[in-house]
Amino acid sequence: MTDFQVSNLGEVAEAVQQAMAQKSHLEVRATGTKRHLGRAASYDHVLDVSGMSGIIDYQPEELVLTLRAATPMDLVEAALAEARQMLAFEPPSMTRILGEAEPGMRGTIGGLVATNLSGPRRLTAGAARDYLLGFEAVSGRGEFFKSGGKVMKNVTGYDLSKLMCGSFGTLGVMDEITLKTLPAPETSRSLILGADDVAGAVSTIARIFASPHEPGASAILPAVIAAEEGVDSGSPFTIIIRLEGIEASVADRLGHLQAMTGGDELAEAGSIKLWQRIRDVQPLAEKPLDIWKVSCAPADAAQVLDSLDTGLQVRTIIDWAGGLVWVAGSSPQIGPALRKAVAGLDSGFAMLVRDVGVTREKIEPFEPLSGGMYELHKRVKASFDPLGVLNFERMHEGI
Amino acid sequence: MQMPEPDQNVLDRRDEICRTLRQLVPADCVIDSRESMRAYDADGLSAYRQLPLAVVLPETVEQIAAIMKWCHQNGVKVVPRGAGTSLSGGALPLADAVLLGLGKFNRILETDYENRCVVAQPGVTNLAITKAVEADGFYYAPDPSSQIACSVGGNVAENSGGVHCLKYGLTTNNLLGIELVTIEGEILRLGGKHLDAGDYDLLGVMTGSEGLLGVVSEVTLRILQKPATARALLVGFEDTGDAGTAVGDIIAAGIIPAGMEMMDGLAIQAAEDFANAGYPREAAALLIIELDGPEVEVDALIERVEAIVRKAGASSVRVSQSEEERNLFWAGRKSAFPAVGRISPDYLCMDGTIPRRRLPDMMRRMASLSQQYGLRVANVFHAGDGNLHPLILFDANQPGELERAEDFGADILRSCVEMGGVLTGEHGVGVEKRDLMTIQFTEDDLKQQQRLKCAFDPGHLLNPGKMFPQLHRCAELGRLHVHKGKLPHPDLPRF
Repeated sequence: MTDFQVSNLGEVAEAVQQAMAQKSHLEVRATGTKRHLGRAASYDHVLDVSGMSGIIDYQPEELVLTLRAATPMDLVEAALAEARQMLAFEPPSMTRILGEAEPGMRGTIGGLVATNLSGPRRLTAGAARDYLLGFEAVSGRGEFFKSGGKVMKNVTGYDLSKLMCGSFGTLGVMDEITLKTLPAPETSRSLILGADDVAGAVSTIARIFASPHEPGASAILPAVIAAEEGVDSGSPFTIIIRLEGIEASVADRLGHLQAMTGGDELAEAGSIKLWQRIRDVQPLAEKPLDIWKVSCAPADAAQVLDSLDTGLQVRTIIDWAGGLVWVAGSSPQIGPALRKAVAGLDSGFAMLVRDVGVTREKIEPFEPLSGGMYELHKRVKASFDPLGVLNFERMHEGI
Repeated sequence: MQMPEPDQNVLDRRDEICRTLRQLVPADCVIDSRESMRAYDADGLSAYRQLPLAVVLPETVEQIAAIMKWCHQNGVKVVPRGAGTSLSGGALPLADAVLLGLGKFNRILETDYENRCVVAQPGVTNLAITKAVEADGFYYAPDPSSQIACSVGGNVAENSGGVHCLKYGLTTNNLLGIELVTIEGEILRLGGKHLDAGDYDLLGVMTGSEGLLGVVSEVTLRILQKPATARALLVGFEDTGDAGTAVGDIIAAGIIPAGMEMMDGLAIQAAEDFANAGYPREAAALLIIELDGPEVEVDALIERVEAIVRKAGASSVRVSQSEEERNLFWAGRKSAFPAVGRISPDYLCMDGTIPRRRLPDMMRRMASLSQQYGLRVANVFHAGDGNLHPLILFDANQPGELERAEDFGADILRSCVEMGGVLTGEHGVGVEKRDLMTIQFTEDDLKQQQRLKCAFDPGHLLNPGKMFPQLHRCAELGRLHVHKGKLPHPDLPRF
């Protein structure tokens, strides 16, 4: 297996053209921290893009950051921290749950965008797809193309940036990408509350979100995990509400919410650490279990969890006010049960994120697509990559 | 503006097409008399007018699907239309196309506070969403200035913004899901009340696709809790550059105002004559900066912003002390377009975006273009995000002035792209900026976009003649060029 080492889009185009001529499949890879996300497809060659790294232009007062796709996340976050800014979608580090890559390695910005991963602030601030302003890429046709721009407000042409986010490298190989940045909050603190069950927790959170006190993130931990994390409320479930902003505002809102709901304050250091662990799904990472991610309407979280037989012994974390349910366990029944639960909802999806026992060869990691959606996906893929050169079948069979 | 040559074969079949449409929808949902179709011959870009082949106003999603399927099978073009407020001609009819109006889809289907969203039909107006939930303290954030009339389906098609999108985002950032009818008549659901999914973000692609990819038959919109309070500053500057500096300094200080609008001298005077908002007439530039959120936060940030604008050289600063005063500050800005309409028989409203730091350069460029073309220009900007709305003043009754104004506008948009910006920030490409797309995009960029179009609409039947300056057949676009040793981009750096 030969690799292509590329350092610019011209070289990418050449490699893709060669692959097209040979009808071979390429795996697009930089640091490889997210190789275990998605289907276990096999490839003829690796297209090593790790050479396409570096910050090109960062204008904090414009809220615009232009950089190359394989720029390491550590470098990105250091530059942002220096300007007291952030990527508001709170990029998680999946290495702890996905393993393999060196510990501490956070992957690249391109990998993050390609997988559209976001953290607890997704609920109020959006995902990676809401912050990608534009990019330059080479398609699976071996052709250079760009979309979007380097300004915040732009509706010129189709918004291909959205399409690139979460397409797992199946449509194009990006080099230069431009992201919108935002000022980092001056302060971040949390409120801890008890709840008897998940449905009760979700409706308490809904009540808090119906107040003008601007909660920024909200998670629910079962007692056993709350205890491990040192935030046990003494109830079967613990709700954590994060407030961010300027000091005076956070203190004021925290006071109002405490008056409204009771609950204890979690001071800044503890709050930052806890949310980072929730962001990275760390409370579920330490034991060798399969990990499933379910995205659903917040009010459906209880129904999703009820679908799991009590004998299955799962560990769970609920984020996004109920809209994100992480389930870890070792039983092969978990996946089918979650898929069945999601099928019974108006909307939602279940994804296998880490496979230890149930392997991703045996169950589709992504929710399989229905007839019309599958056909449309196939055509969209073909419009960028008709021969399946790039990350073929990484998401769905035949795509 | 050259539109695609109407298909004579389709024009000849008009009677048959109308008869068929009357079988697909209740007979009174088809409008085909010239007089009645007049109401649909233009959208907000009223310089362009065209009667459609027929107007059809379906009442159910099944009817939309049936119309689309039949049109697809019979090679008849379809132009979707919401409330017809597009400023770029997105809903401009075509002589050989059925105009598919969504006006009868005017119901809010669900207000769901537990999941903080509203499910609505596409013909509901933008403002009606907020009206439906405001008694419970919620609102829908995107607020295009046409919000009283524009439809949420049209908002999806155009990815509409508004004065608050610096902080709260465009339609695309507040849209959770849609029901989509494809040209083949298939009904698909994209997104929903959940956030993440494991498929392509076709919801994101549909948003801002200007009716070229499918028809939106239902929307699920995120609603937010209304901020506890809002206050605004009205700040005058003697120098436009200083105003630009102040905007940059505010954001660099970590403050994202809910809105940050700028007006130039001519716009200030026109607005003040019209609205008596108490604007400083002598100022060269005016900023309206609004902060919203908890009261303590707004009060603290008002102080910080005031210090920043004074340091940047503000010549006058007023801080709203009441809701009434805040609304007065906005009254001038919100009436800027009609105000300019009063000082000139006609005006063209442009919509480019530039990196904000290039604002002083842009002002100089516009002043010199204004001299060159002999036409005045008034400027209102969404200053926070660099979105410009130059209003070019002209008189359509003077021979050649419309063309001169259009050329002036095209030069402004060319300058936007040259300065690192884009052709349109929120009004869309439509027919208005269609032929300028090659300034911002290469042939290959546009071909890739059209290939995506082919994935949704292989026969180019949906809203053709909009967005793309040149239509390529899908078969031609799909052709692969594999030449060993002969690469398609000799100009790119190589190994």
